[in-house]
Amino acid sequence: MDHHPTNWGRPRDDRVDPYGTFPIHARPRPKEDAFGDAVKHTQQPIVTGSSVIGLKYKDGVMLAADNLASYGSLARYKDVQRLHPVGTSTILGAGGDMSDFQYIQHTLDSLIIEEFTYDDGNKLGPTEIYQYLSRIMYNRRSKMNPLWNSLVVGGIKSDGESFLGYVDLLGTTYQSPTIATGFGSYIAQPLLRNAVDEHPEPLTEEEALSIIQKCMKTLFYRDARSLNKYQVAKVTAEGVTISDPIEAPTVWGFAEGIRGYGAQTQ
Amino acid sequence: MPHQERRFNPYTENGGTILAIAGEDFTVIAGDTRQSEGYNIQTRYAPKVFRLTDKAVLAVNGFAADGNMFVQKVQQRLEWYAHAHNKPMPLKAIARLIQTMLYAKRFFPYYVYNILGGIEEDGSGAVYSFDPVGSYEREACRAAGAAQSLVQPFLDNQIYFKNQLPPPGGAHPRHLPLNDVLSLVIDSFTGATERHIEVGDGLEIYIVLAPNKSSVELERLPGVKRIQGTFDIAGDASPDVTAAAAAVGVTGEKMFVMRRELKKD
Amino acid sequence: MTSIGTGYDLSASTYSPDGRIFQVEYANKAVENSGTAIGLRVKDGVVLAVEKIIHSKLLMPESNKRILTIDKHIGYTSSGLLADGRQLANRARDESQSSRDFYREPPTLKTIVNRLSLFIQAYTLYSSVRPFGCTSLLASVDKHGPGLYVIEPSGISLGHHGAAVGKGRQLAKTELEKLKLNELSMRQAVYEAARIIHLVHDDAKEKDFELEMSWIGAETNNIHLPVPKDLFEDADKQARDALLEDMED
Repeated sequence: MDHHPTNWGRPRDDRVDPYGTFPIHARPRPKEDAFGDAVKHTQQPIVTGSSVIGLKYKDGVMLAADNLASYGSLARYKDVQRLHPVGTSTILGAGGDMSDFQYIQHTLDSLIIEEFTYDDGNKLGPTEIYQYLSRIMYNRRSKMNPLWNSLVVGGIKSDGESFLGYVDLLGTTYQSPTIATGFGSYIAQPLLRNAVDEHPEPLTEEEALSIIQKCMKTLFYRDARSLNKYQVAKVTAEGVTISDPIEAPTVWGFAEGIRGYGAQTQ
Repeated sequence: MPHQERRFNPYTENGGTILAIAGEDFTVIAGDTRQSEGYNIQTRYAPKVFRLTDKAVLAVNGFAADGNMFVQKVQQRLEWYAHAHNKPMPLKAIARLIQTMLYAKRFFPYYVYNILGGIEEDGSGAVYSFDPVGSYEREACRAAGAAQSLVQPFLDNQIYFKNQLPPPGGAHPRHLPLNDVLSLVIDSFTGATERHIEVGDGLEIYIVLAPNKSSVELERLPGVKRIQGTFDIAGDASPDVTAAAAAVGVTGEKMFVMRRELKKD
Repeated sequence: MTSIGTGYDLSASTYSPDGRIFQVEYANKAVENSGTAIGLRVKDGVVLAVEKIIHSKLLMPESNKRILTIDKHIGYTSSGLLADGRQLANRARDESQSSRDFYREPPTLKTIVNRLSLFIQAYTLYSSVRPFGCTSLLASVDKHGPGLYVIEPSGISLGHHGAAVGKGRQLAKTELEKLKLNELSMRQAVYEAARIIHLVHDDAKEKDFELEMSWIGAETNNIHLPVPKDLFEDADKQARDALLEDMED
């Protein structure tokens, strides 16, 4: 009676338009499972962090993220740390939903404690943490209940090589000498790639820090969901260090000449 | 309804292109190494081609997270098989396994196009291509991914000799020699890199040779490296060793990988 | 023992007419005959030390650890049935983790000790189970400072300045009482702990033993860790030398 593919698989209801007189898209569709709405999954992030940037340099990796957690366009929390050490040779940076990030921090802390209590000399390095996170993120996206984050994992592997990787809410992963998430993928990534590609030798710590600062400053100028207060973390053979909040010197004199910002009213 | 539009979308596209061509006694499986999302290049090196056994290579293209997960699951199944049967799984069995695994997720598919290449038990080169839900067939060549529409017509013309007249009094060759195939692969990717924004950065070409095929010529090419496998035996093994190895399913296929740069713009 | 054969000692769920639970007392016997374990709660931390009896020369040195870690900031050791001790350590780990899951902060030692005591005590109530044949020492530095607790097979738990359980407990307690524990540093406590374990070990009667020591406090950033090799070896050597001197005297 109704053999059109749009209606395949739908429960047959001959009381309604048995001869298919309605246009296909206007056909009444059977209601979905009555309990379908009972389980609510995260459909959008609420309190969010913006970009995370990172790069490999001579002695290890360096990551940076600002201290802002936004509530929509409201700069809601201005003293939030988005860099989290995991074990003794890994650092995790997060953008996206901050409550999901706190959940991830707790999960990883538990893992590290469990591993510590085994007291078997085995250590979880950045590759293990990266793999673990990718599984968690992919599993959650496969349950249509994602952890709404972009994560950057940096660290020093057991063989002494540095590591820098990315995981996001879809379970997408990649490794790269430079990484920037969110708005930073447009603003900071080109600057980072330039710095690394144009340099014949691996960057020194000073060079790495200076390019990171340049990126964070540019992001503050261009990203409306950013803050001029950020932290820089580094992982070297000596371990993980996270700096106190840093402020980049900025210049706003030019803005006086911009219509809508300065003295002009028209 | 806004609710419908805001619904979480569990998929994305990560660009790139893969390609495989089967010869009479070899198979070539290749992919570029760029991973992208939209206009962003995420990384210039993310492999899309993976060694499965001594004689099988799998290329995956589409949603990278699904692709990586799928490859890991296939590799795990192959390891279980090897432990249970003390031999690597034959190529045609891997092809059917992949179809079963893809179809098992028919209603939440792996958003991935697979191309499986390698050497069959009869020593012939083979390529199997799959759609995301498991439909598959054996072919002589196949391109998939972002630049499929650029590469496949070129392959149809150069491999299948579509729209080409045979030389007077002769016929088109049934199989091309390895060197010609490698040239076609490299040209396909340089071409795709030129005209498709999602293709570029690096090219990774896997070459699998049938047991009796000489690798001397291949090893002379720049950037070619031999891959030693779990079930591999030395190329110059004595007949005794070869027979003993054959008894446990080791037949002496040789695998190589060749890396080339592609344009990064 | 007079109680044997009276029938009141067959089950933990039966009292004797004078109000004792013999099964629990027998569990204590398992502890009394086992290697000595001591704990020193000092000014800025806690030190644990055990006399690990080596039953066979075939055992690997430093294997079969007797001092375990419950959480980053909680150390554990037991005297008595080693297998029971491991079971309790695992239970304590679960308790610690579930406390962290709920409160999102490191649990205090008292929290874990209370939960573990309830667990141990439950095994003194039923005829279908056997009380745990071990006494546990738990050491930690939490937000209240250094802490050292002992839990017996009865489920009773008590805080201590210094604790000693196992075969050499009497002599060890006498030695501990001589110390001004509140004034010692962790480092000094390591030397005292090594000395006491060596002192109480009875060379004549006992098989060979291995000294095992851990500490937590200011020196370890309040994380429970094995005593570092150089310090351990120095303390071990000094303890041995002191014993030799005593013998010569």
